[in-house]
Amino acid sequence: MDWLRIWWSRCVAFLGPKKLDEELDEELLEHIDLATDENLRRGMSPQDAQRAALLKFGGVAQIKERYRLQRGLPLLDEVVQDIRFAWRQIRHAPGFAIVAILTLALGIGANTAVFTLTHALLLSTLPVRDPGELVRLTIDLSGTQNNSHDAPLSLPMIESIQRQSRTMHDVFGWCVYDFPFRDGNVNGGIHGAILSGNAFEALGVRPAAGRLLTPADDQTGGGPDGLAAVISYRIWVSRYHSDASVVGREVIVTDHPATIVGVAPEGFEGVIAAEHPDIYLPLEFQGLLYGEPSKHTAERLWLDTFARLNPGVSRGQAAAEMNALFPKILDATLPAGMRHMPEVEKARLEVKRARTGWSKLRATYTQPLLLLQVMVGAVLLICCANLSGLFLARASARRREFAIRGALGAGRVRLMRQLFVECLMLALPGALLGVGLAWAAGPSILHMLGNVEAEQAISMQPNPTVLCVTVACAVFCAVLFGMAPAWTASHTSVEMALRSSNPRTSAGGAGLRNFFVPFQVALSLALVVVAALLGTTVTRLLMENSGYRTDNVVFALTDFLRVPQKGDTLVALYHRMAERLEERPGVEQASVSAISPFLGWRWSDEFVAADNSQHQAPVEAMENIITAHYFSALGISILTGRDLTNSDADRNSCIVSQAAARLYFPHTSALGKTLRSVVRRPGTGKPDAFHDYEIVGIARDTKYNSLRELPPPIVYLPLAAGENGQTNGGSNLFFVIHARSVAAANSAYLATLHEMAPSSPEIPPAVFSESLRDSVARERLLSILSGFFALLGLLLSGIGIYGLVAWNVTMRTTEIGVRMALGATRPKVFLLVMRQVAGLLAIGVLCGGVAALFAARSVRSFLFEVRPGNPWVFVLSALVLVLIGLLAATMPARRAVSIDPMRALRTE
Amino acid sequence: MGDGKSDVLQGTLDLMVLKTLESMGPLHGYGIARRIEQVSDDTLNLNQGTIYPALLRLQQRGWITTEWGTSENNRRAKYYSLSRLGKKQIEKETESWERTAATMARFLATPR
Repeated sequence: MDWLRIWWSRCVAFLGPKKLDEELDEELLEHIDLATDENLRRGMSPQDAQRAALLKFGGVAQIKERYRLQRGLPLLDEVVQDIRFAWRQIRHAPGFAIVAILTLALGIGANTAVFTLTHALLLSTLPVRDPGELVRLTIDLSGTQNNSHDAPLSLPMIESIQRQSRTMHDVFGWCVYDFPFRDGNVNGGIHGAILSGNAFEALGVRPAAGRLLTPADDQTGGGPDGLAAVISYRIWVSRYHSDASVVGREVIVTDHPATIVGVAPEGFEGVIAAEHPDIYLPLEFQGLLYGEPSKHTAERLWLDTFARLNPGVSRGQAAAEMNALFPKILDATLPAGMRHMPEVEKARLEVKRARTGWSKLRATYTQPLLLLQVMVGAVLLICCANLSGLFLARASARRREFAIRGALGAGRVRLMRQLFVECLMLALPGALLGVGLAWAAGPSILHMLGNVEAEQAISMQPNPTVLCVTVACAVFCAVLFGMAPAWTASHTSVEMALRSSNPRTSAGGAGLRNFFVPFQVALSLALVVVAALLGTTVTRLLMENSGYRTDNVVFALTDFLRVPQKGDTLVALYHRMAERLEERPGVEQASVSAISPFLGWRWSDEFVAADNSQHQAPVEAMENIITAHYFSALGISILTGRDLTNSDADRNSCIVSQAAARLYFPHTSALGKTLRSVVRRPGTGKPDAFHDYEIVGIARDTKYNSLRELPPPIVYLPLAAGENGQTNGGSNLFFVIHARSVAAANSAYLATLHEMAPSSPEIPPAVFSESLRDSVARERLLSILSGFFALLGLLLSGIGIYGLVAWNVTMRTTEIGVRMALGATRPKVFLLVMRQVAGLLAIGVLCGGVAALFAARSVRSFLFEVRPGNPWVFVLSALVLVLIGLLAATMPARRAVSIDPMRALRTE
Repeated sequence: MGDGKSDVLQGTLDLMVLKTLESMGPLHGYGIARRIEQVSDDTLNLNQGTIYPALLRLQQRGWITTEWGTSENNRRAKYYSLSRLGKKQIEKETESWERTAATMARFLATPR
């Protein structure tokens, strides 16, 4: 309790020191008086009496100082002093302060913006119980393809893992959906998720109102409340005004009545990062929508799967168990035809960390974000170097001030602390402004992700973590750019500084400042080179010929799982709809396709030339299922042969791309030959199943999966009936529509859909040219942001060089005056100034070149058709930098030239 | 100490002040300083000024209280008096001081 009382009295004293000071003066004065009086009574002379009293008392000033130190909060007192002083300094030179704050705002703002994105996408921990125990289960299909490819699980797999695993419990599936939603007069779409009944229990979250879903809700035919739904906290507040009576309310989701049983807790956005479900429904809803079998279909890998590790079990142990268990699970769940496909044979079940949930965006954006993080870090360093230079210049202008303060007893630490407070007072407003900039730029950065969901779900609002990082950034900057000036200030020799009449003649820290310019130049060069490489990449990618017509083409994905037509009649429906589409005004061609290029769909099978099947192993090729006019709709010319027709006669015909023709028939013309599609069943004792197709046409090569790849071999098969009442391409295919305009294509599609498949939900068609552009969204984001950061680096370096040269000219005014008086011509003076800059630039460019070489090699994986060591990029970048540097130096150099020798000498 | 005076031990000044206030009642700073000098028979090397930080310390701990009164020469002066907490503190400190003194005495009494 003692310390509390002491602190209290100290705080009180801190707030009203003036009155207390007066009282102390009065008390001490009284003391001396009383002592003097007593001495007088003893018979001393008045002078002696007072002298003796003072002597006896000890030093009055020292006692007062000791008293004050003990009375208030001396440290805080000094800090307040420092702040007041810093404020006066800032007001004294507002231009300097504004430049410093703006520079920092740009540097810190860039960092905050990138970190907000990084945090939202990669780092934010799920708000659930023990998030560290969560793992995600995925099927790794990378064994068959070069690039890694993860697939989710099917429900039977989840159920059998839940039954058999001894290392994990609470296994649950999760699938994000968009639903049509009706509630009273609200009629629109809602972003939602369907999930295993145990998901909420497994996550250990508590409802904000009502209850959450339980396994009892996930029963065939619905649970105690029929179809139970949980809504997000967000729409509870925005749509239902946090009214608890929302529990029990009936809403319509995709034509099915559902009962709201509760509200998810605030801040809970599910387990998929960058998604924001507003309604949670049990997996059973899948069964309601598409029939019970669709829920249990083993081939359908549709559920993102999560689980909790048992206590004391490591992820490695769980992975080992899954390694052993997975083949058995596949045996038990997959039909024989699929079990022995090459992908499935090589597939492994992976157990991954899920503390931060999961997002498919992560695979694409983790590396770019890290790269951007490094780049903004470099920008921040350039900022700090810039400010360091500015501060050093000011510190040497203030040498006399430091010297005087040192002479009056300010210690080194005190001087350094004072400068640090000054830096901090510039850095914190800079950080604040930076957060504002990041917040303002947030939406446009998100837009560059080219992902609508993520754009809506990721909040660029600064959150506590981001703010903490930003403040840390600011303090780091203050330390960094305050360090050099503080060091020189604290090493100012009092005597020297006071003796020289003109502070300009003693240039402190000049050597250090000369270091900052090459440093900035080097970092900027690395930034510019990386930005140039990435910019070239995007331009090359967008100019790359994909092989398709992209203008006025849309890909409309159907949702035909619930249409009454099955099997052959479903195939007929697709044929009829494509023909009906072509009759509509404005439509040029319409066709059906199982995949949309560049959207990440890929479909492959193994084929072999039928004549040669004895001698050759089947080889994988990309595949597509199409109907007539696919090639004309997409502007792919058929080189020899003909297009497929929709008639039964073409049931066993196919078309191959040039690459496929070369692959399977290297020595002869492929036209008219027979291609055999093989489904391998090794190890089962059953013979491989196969289907023969006659090649009726050879189409020009196109890309398939990405703009980066070489055109792969593609085999186009005709649409036909497949398993389970679906087609051989599944039930949901794309209509490819080429029309006079995108609007015409869209309206033709919607009209046809309403006419011929009225029960099917509408999915807005994707504009092909946009899909193509979005397929390079990652590169686009990288190139735009890195370009911006490089520009920032250039600008800051320019300012830095300008500052240095301007300062040097001011410092050397006298020297230049003397030179001119002795006959130096103006061009000579100009060269004198520029020579120094050129030297610094040269060092910077040399170091920067090496740094840029390393930087360029580290971004190699993002590049397309430009080598990381491309000399043009390096030379041009260096040229730009040198040009800007020289330009920045010209202004102060011209001032040097206009120095009047007489006046310069007189000021000395 | 060449002049036969000893320095005031850290912490002993507090007890001296408290004890003085206990025996003399409310006193001003000069009065306390003089009283300590008299009681110690001028054997202490005390800068009178040092009692003011000590008084502040005691005040901050709540052991003494202050009020303004009038001094012998009819001027305003600050008077210090012992608080209830202060009385308790004297008991505590006296006991601990006596223990220390006794221990020291035993040490010094041991023959060389």
